[in-house]
Amino acid sequence: MAIKKKSMASSMNDELATRVLDQIPTPVFAVDMDMKLIFINQQGRTLLGKESKDALGHPCYSLFHSQHCETAECRMKTAMASGEPCTARNEAKIGDRVVPIEYTAAPLTDKNGKVVGGLEYILDITERVRDEKRLREQSRTIQEISTPAISLWEGIVVLPVLGVVDSLRAKQMMNAMLTKIKETAAKTIILDIQGVAAVDTAVANHLIKITKATKLMGCRCIISGISPAVAETLVQLGIDLGDVATNSSLRDALGDAFTFMNLEVKKAK
Amino acid sequence: MMNDMAGECRVDLVDLSDTGAALSTARLMAKEAGFEETDQYLIATAVSELATNIIRYAGRGAVNIRIIQDDERTGLEVIAQDSGPGIEDIEQAMQDNYSTGNSLGLGLPGVKRIMDEFTIESRVGQGTTCTARKWRR
Repeated sequence: MAIKKKSMASSMNDELATRVLDQIPTPVFAVDMDMKLIFINQQGRTLLGKESKDALGHPCYSLFHSQHCETAECRMKTAMASGEPCTARNEAKIGDRVVPIEYTAAPLTDKNGKVVGGLEYILDITERVRDEKRLREQSRTIQEISTPAISLWEGIVVLPVLGVVDSLRAKQMMNAMLTKIKETAAKTIILDIQGVAAVDTAVANHLIKITKATKLMGCRCIISGISPAVAETLVQLGIDLGDVATNSSLRDALGDAFTFMNLEVKKAK
Repeated sequence: MMNDMAGECRVDLVDLSDTGAALSTARLMAKEAGFEETDQYLIATAVSELATNIIRYAGRGAVNIRIIQDDERTGLEVIAQDSGPGIEDIEQAMQDNYSTGNSLGLGLPGVKRIMDEFTIESRVGQGTTCTARKWRR
């Protein structure tokens, strides 16, 4: 009698557990040591578009065809070998569909703690990936429109720099500058950094490199827009701009450029 | 990415573009703490320096910025933390013109000059924590 009661209770628990797993709104499955499916919940079956009988017993890699499947990247194998859970990004291929996913694999142990397989849950990250892509595209657009090299006068090019300068941006600035010098045969370029968020050592390093490159192209480079705050920062950081010509404002820099090119601005009579 | 609390902000650093977020957060916080414009700029630069170091050498980490107060002064505290490879020789890293990367090697000593207090703790293979404070003059 007691035994019967116990088995009833345990089958009730099994039923509840299955119901809970089936109602988790994300695919969950488990495999044995041979990577063969021994359980898959409702969401998992929906993802695959298969009934339990068509999925169970099949190796998981034959169902999900993900990029990691049957490679050293497979976190299920890692989790089974290390005994530790593992999370990674991946792409599953189900039928013709490629779904970007993030999956967490964990070892499946028996009641003695011996690893007998692995379990895994999958998150569909299609939207996250789409958002990230959009964000990357937007920042690229912003970077492209934010490095304009302007021909200000015959032989004078101005590059106003705004915001945050990182390596990628510095490379774009360098390209924009050198292309413009070649196009316009400019003799003087002005790099206006008034709008730069902060001139740290990395930015200073980029600026020095840009001025060196322009010099090699036979062009004089003036850095303008050095505010008192920038000047103090450069001193505190111990950055030596060496023989780079600097000016506090774009206006002064332009004046210097005119003088250098033997030009004079006069009031019309 | 940013977690706002009263007088405290955390910026997670995953990508080089996050250094921009760290920088503007630092600047806003410095303004809120009542620092004048030049100091705001200096602090923002120091934070940018620390954040760039994290991305360059550790790949990822975080910067915590908070407004601090003692008996008579207000200041800003910056804690830059990563679980990267760590710094083998801190003394060397703090020297001007020393760099293992292709940079000017003025970053850390520069931060030390900008800020009033600066401590760096690092364990090889475990990570680095830089704590810097600046008090309002």
